[in-house]
Amino acid sequence: MVRYLLGRVGQALAVLALTFTAAFLLLQVLPGDAIMIKFMSPDMGLTADQIAEIRASYGADRPLWERYFTTVGNFLTGNFGISIQAGVPVSQQLATNLPPTLLLASLAFAAALILTILLASLSNMVGMEWLRAGLQSLPSLFISVPVFWLGIMLIQIFSFQLGLVSVISPGPVEKLVLPVLTLAIPISAPLAQILMRNIDQVLAQPFVAVARAKGASRNWVLWRHVARNAIMPTLTIAGVLFGELLAGAVVTEAVFGLSGLGGLTYQAVGNHDTAVLQAIVVISALAFVTINLIVDLLYPVLDPRLGSRSGAPA
Amino acid sequence: MIQSKYHRFLTGAFASLASIAVLAGSAAAQQAVNKGGTLIYLEQQPHTNLYPPAGGFYPNGGVLNQITDKLTYQNPKTLEIEPWIAESWTVNADATEYTFKIRPGVTFSDGTPLDAAAVAKNFDTYGLGNKDLKQPVSEVITNYKGSEVVDPLTVKFFFTKPSVGFLQGTSVIGSGLVSLKTLALPFDALGDATKIIGSGPFVVKSEVLGRELVMEARKDYKWGPAKLAHQGRANLDGIKYVVTPEDSVRIGALLAGQAHVIRQVQAYDEKQVQSKGFIIYAAPTRGVNNSVVFRPDNPLVSDIRVRKALLHATNAKEIVATLFSANYPQAKSIIASTAQGYVDQSAKLAYDPALAARLLDEAGWTIGPKGLRQKDGKELVLQAYESPPQPQNKETLQLVAQQWAKVGVKLNVLAGDAGSRVADNLDPMKTPVAPAMVGRADPDVIRSQYYPTTRNVLMQKGGVSTKVQNFTDGKLNALLEEIAAATDPVKRLALVGEVQAYVIDQGYTIPIFEEPQAFAASPKVKDFTFEAVGRPSFYATWISK
Repeated sequence: MVRYLLGRVGQALAVLALTFTAAFLLLQVLPGDAIMIKFMSPDMGLTADQIAEIRASYGADRPLWERYFTTVGNFLTGNFGISIQAGVPVSQQLATNLPPTLLLASLAFAAALILTILLASLSNMVGMEWLRAGLQSLPSLFISVPVFWLGIMLIQIFSFQLGLVSVISPGPVEKLVLPVLTLAIPISAPLAQILMRNIDQVLAQPFVAVARAKGASRNWVLWRHVARNAIMPTLTIAGVLFGELLAGAVVTEAVFGLSGLGGLTYQAVGNHDTAVLQAIVVISALAFVTINLIVDLLYPVLDPRLGSRSGAPA
Repeated sequence: MIQSKYHRFLTGAFASLASIAVLAGSAAAQQAVNKGGTLIYLEQQPHTNLYPPAGGFYPNGGVLNQITDKLTYQNPKTLEIEPWIAESWTVNADATEYTFKIRPGVTFSDGTPLDAAAVAKNFDTYGLGNKDLKQPVSEVITNYKGSEVVDPLTVKFFFTKPSVGFLQGTSVIGSGLVSLKTLALPFDALGDATKIIGSGPFVVKSEVLGRELVMEARKDYKWGPAKLAHQGRANLDGIKYVVTPEDSVRIGALLAGQAHVIRQVQAYDEKQVQSKGFIIYAAPTRGVNNSVVFRPDNPLVSDIRVRKALLHATNAKEIVATLFSANYPQAKSIIASTAQGYVDQSAKLAYDPALAARLLDEAGWTIGPKGLRQKDGKELVLQAYESPPQPQNKETLQLVAQQWAKVGVKLNVLAGDAGSRVADNLDPMKTPVAPAMVGRADPDVIRSQYYPTTRNVLMQKGGVSTKVQNFTDGKLNALLEEIAAATDPVKRLALVGEVQAYVIDQGYTIPIFEEPQAFAASPKVKDFTFEAVGRPSFYATWISK
């Protein structure tokens, strides 16, 4: 188990290093850079010589390999550089923007899970066929609703029309209600779709018929036997969906005017703010790797068959 | 309803420009000023670096205009330069020496005095830059040599060449005075608003980067521009800036009473705001009009007949009527009718597709099989990048493209990322056409826009771009240099008139409309005013009960 864990952590680190390098190279390939966008824009009215001096002062005139190793060194010592557009250290931006996004993303993820389980269990417990069909088609609706439209609608209805929550100067909890909902709905959709289909598949398997024949109630079978078997693929998708969560956060944060990594990314992409983007890519990769590691480690817990395979010597 | 009629009247009056200050003044006289309260202001974009010379970006100017004072005050109505931190000044005959007497008793919010030494250090930085701290020079200060502190309240500035624009340059947003502590910080630390220590009526109390900013009125403030009706501390207790990028959320929040003032209201949203009794403020920017410019270095547009053909193929009236409102007057010259030295050029700007077609024929561009004009096997296909900060710029360019298509010329409107946009806009071969606009209430704005070493919109040789092959216009540059050097104000304005005529005669620029800064405010917000080029000032503002 320890060897397995070490191997997985090693893999994760390799992925991080590759992501860092790929991001660095790709950001260099893009036409123009942050210094050019900021200082060559006519608003600054600088001359060619002044711009050349500024480029030199940021080290932008150095060869690519030198800048790469400088950046690696800086990252390893916790120095993420400076946002040229915003005029503040990237670490200061991250300190402001990382916690709210983590909070929003984890709450939205939790809400999405609750919504998924609610939908899946309701649609399997309801007796009436038409209601069951209605509930089962909800995820398809959720998946096709654009996040920005949903956000704007929720704001228009609950804040501007009904006046239930304030969007501009909300309290700490009030601030999160609508954004969490906006983000949770599209995330819950694919989860619910997969969970529902898997429940149907598992229900069709012979052991369910056996359990029912032995006298178990439908709900008992659903919770004790079916749910556990149906949840595995859902978990895999949940790990992958984290990316969706970040993408959704960009839109949600823009619509609700929340501070967070989403808004920061949006601004940084627009201005080719390389240092900011490099830091965001590394953080996202770290989050991806961590979540997938957790998911992988959870498999053997949920399904003992997997545990014995990875744990036992081959 | 009486109420809405009154507002419609008011809005109409605001649209008729220039009278903003007068109206606000008379409205205030009818009602007692209600002091206190916090005004909630919604901005579309987060501010960037707040080094004062970088204050031209409107989100930056909106912050800096509340927290910094300037040496002089440009009256937004008369455009005259009036005393502010400088009580008086003298200029020598050839405008190479300026002496300012500083108002006594002014302090920065960190308690340090705003005296001659502080003013000298500010302008030394803005005029020469500070390489060690990466602080760049200011666009509005030219030919700066140095300063001399004559006594604690007298400062003298020296210039290598006549610098007539300097006096007005001391009044602009980019010349905001900041504490020596702020100037001692590296450029890359000045994106944090709490580090910008000014002497203005408001002080930044706290900031959540990229999201919101809380300002507090300075209780001991007593050095507002001497000729303003309002004196002493600000009427408001504070201002809360909230960045709200989404248009519909800003407008919805304003109408729902969650905010008092919002910036950036598109023309198509004006009706919705006004129908609810809210007020649109369209502050003029008094500079170079929203225009389409050519880069004659590109052989496709190097022929004056082609440029003039496209000028006459452009229907600015249709653009304004289709996309904009009465707050966006059709342009009659390359600079706004509210700008200094404006001369009406509309006779030369007539929409005349028949003339356009004739000029293109004469230039040898004949209609090919696909309906596109061609010459020597080359098609007349041009490109321009949209400019996101300008109102509905993409739609404007697309409409221009439709109009040009009628005479057989294709204009491709490109979106692209910021990097490609900046890079390609420096290359006339990639962008023979570009949108342009700049706000500044001084005749110098026209020089700054066209001169090769400054904004260089025509992409002449000698500027920042390394891609320009050989285009220069010696006559234009000579005129622009004369504007910068002319010490006689009458002669200076005459030169500005000459440049306007020359630029249009050469078909370098197609002016479209006079660009306002559009704000919307609750009817409860009174005495909401603007500096000369449309940046909000909340010094005298109050919120009625």
